[in-house]
Amino acid sequence: MRGLVAVLCVQLVCMASAFADEPAGEPSPPLHEDDEFGPLIAIEAIEISGNTATQTEIIRRALPIAPGDILHASDRRLRDTRFKVLALGYFRDVTLAMRKGSSRGRVVIEIHVVERGTFVLNRLWFGTTNVSPYWLGADVGERNLLGLGISIGGGMVYAAPGDVEGSRSQWAGELRLADPSLYGSRWGAYGSLTLVHGSQPFRIAGTSSDDPGDFQAYPYRRFGGRAGMTYDATVLSRISAGLRLEEISAELPVAPTQTLPSGQIESIDLHLDPGSSRVVTADLSIDRDTRADPILPHSGNRIMAAAEIGSAAIGSDYDFATLFARFDQWWPLRNERSSISFHISGGVVVGDAPQFDRIYIADVDPLLTPRALGLVLSNASPLDILGTRADKPMYGDLGGTVTLEYSQQIFRGSGKNRVYGGDWFVGVGAWGLADADELKLRDASVWNSLPIDLYGDAGVRVDTDLGIFEFTISNALGRFR
Amino acid sequence: MKRRLAVAVVLALTSIAVADDDTIEPVHMQFVERGDDLVVSTKIQKLFDEAAYAALGTGFESTIVINTFVYPQDSSEPIAVNKAVRKVVYDIWDETYVVSLENSSKPVRVKFQSEVLKLLTTIDNMPVAQLRDLPLGEIFYLRVNVLLNPVDKKTLAEVQRWLSQGTGGGLDRGGVFFGSFVSVFVHPKIADADRVLQLQSQPFYRPKP
Repeated sequence: MRGLVAVLCVQLVCMASAFADEPAGEPSPPLHEDDEFGPLIAIEAIEISGNTATQTEIIRRALPIAPGDILHASDRRLRDTRFKVLALGYFRDVTLAMRKGSSRGRVVIEIHVVERGTFVLNRLWFGTTNVSPYWLGADVGERNLLGLGISIGGGMVYAAPGDVEGSRSQWAGELRLADPSLYGSRWGAYGSLTLVHGSQPFRIAGTSSDDPGDFQAYPYRRFGGRAGMTYDATVLSRISAGLRLEEISAELPVAPTQTLPSGQIESIDLHLDPGSSRVVTADLSIDRDTRADPILPHSGNRIMAAAEIGSAAIGSDYDFATLFARFDQWWPLRNERSSISFHISGGVVVGDAPQFDRIYIADVDPLLTPRALGLVLSNASPLDILGTRADKPMYGDLGGTVTLEYSQQIFRGSGKNRVYGGDWFVGVGAWGLADADELKLRDASVWNSLPIDLYGDAGVRVDTDLGIFEFTISNALGRFR
Repeated sequence: MKRRLAVAVVLALTSIAVADDDTIEPVHMQFVERGDDLVVSTKIQKLFDEAAYAALGTGFESTIVINTFVYPQDSSEPIAVNKAVRKVVYDIWDETYVVSLENSSKPVRVKFQSEVLKLLTTIDNMPVAQLRDLPLGEIFYLRVNVLLNPVDKKTLAEVQRWLSQGTGGGLDRGGVFFGSFVSVFVHPKIADADRVLQLQSQPFYRPKP
């Protein structure tokens, strides 16, 4: 009886999987892409050529085949070989060929690679605001250090001091090192060092103006790093765990206060220990990405979640925990020429977290200037679209965004002219940022107390061999406001 | 002035890319009612260029996926969709080509490469729709989308995955959970298929008896 049930289950699973692969309403094709046929071959040797910078062993580790394997000439592993090598990211092209081996049925696989530049420009920072008349910086990386498959990267940013009292020249630098696959295994390792020499503006008067006179800044310095391990649970999923050690030096004003429009003066919590303090945390995160095209996606989804805990038990001066999560889903329309996408992200900070670990308003409102390597570069207030609470906080311990976006393909190219494609998009969303304590205690109506608002964004994304260019409203506002 | 410049840049990029885009080629096709089906005959030899033709003899498999879509004349929603898969692999020891076609139960062996090309690129009486889905007198057209060595989405996602992997994170992690994921500059693109051919038939209809 149990055997019958097992057979039925297997049949049902087979039917379900066959059904899932088959488009509705189509007759079953007699031949599938995954069917194997052709002669049986034995791989006698694998010869790799064309690699001058990348070590041959790095390529060999990525191959799904090895000498001694016996398989059909149409075996999926042979078909996947080219893509497994391309997936390393070090080659512009990979070509495969086969020649006769030493005896009948034996073959030699020839893999020829064409290397590409692996130096990448990750990000450019520039702009001007009240807080800084100009800032400039770049983040670059090399994905194949000395041909060892190790990624190294880093960034530098400088921001000139603005009109805010107490502000100073700000600069920050970061160095990162990562090996996504230790000895070709599913395990990887990463580490980073960051140094920040900044001045943090905070509001001392008013509630929503951008006037520099309503702000004051205090100097601080952060130096620290992260190190951890990664594990590729599947080809599309990665789990990471790490440790962070950071030293903060802050010259905080004595008893900082904010003068409200009513004339009332209230004290401000700057969420930092005066003088020198230490942050020690442990973190765990997971990332699953099924998008076929991460630049102009029209299908697939991405899930990210991360938890971080700092405690005196591991030497931290701050006892806190953070939990961040993000989910993005793209639904293709019109044969993937357009798509509707839904994006939701949020975070919660619990306990006595340092200011820099709390959620910054530009993290959730895309129409504001984002932080660059931790430096705050703007004091602009968010656009008041809904007429909700006017004095929205710069930092909070509860925040998130929800976005609905429509994107449509303008064109797709094969890359012959160094242009791969372009999309226009329009999106609307809502964001919210609050201190949990303020949600409990309020002195206005519910609507006027809600720390939420709307935002909209639209523009064009162009994917080229030289880079991904975003001509969007948020990108423009984030540099000059 | 700045606005004009921005518009000019966008237009220039767009025009470059449009010239590079896949185009739909109008082709005269032959339609016949056979049994309960509408069948089509045409040629897709333009799918192969010199490199693709040479690749037939490498010993690695070449796959052709033929997708057909029948549309009513004034609609973009297909009323019938079909798919056929053809494959060939060169047996380097026997020095013959093993060809598997959608309508043959067993692969056939072929001696000459030119004969392989003919087998792969001839669409001969391929069913594209059931007659009951094609009302008499109404006008339709057929679109044929042919892919040489298509890459499945999972493989594409795996290949492109390295793009979204940076060199690890810095001190601040919260920001990466919000905003745009687009932060990668230079990168190579993996095409969905080695080559793509898109054909569109002349309008056709089933005459009333």
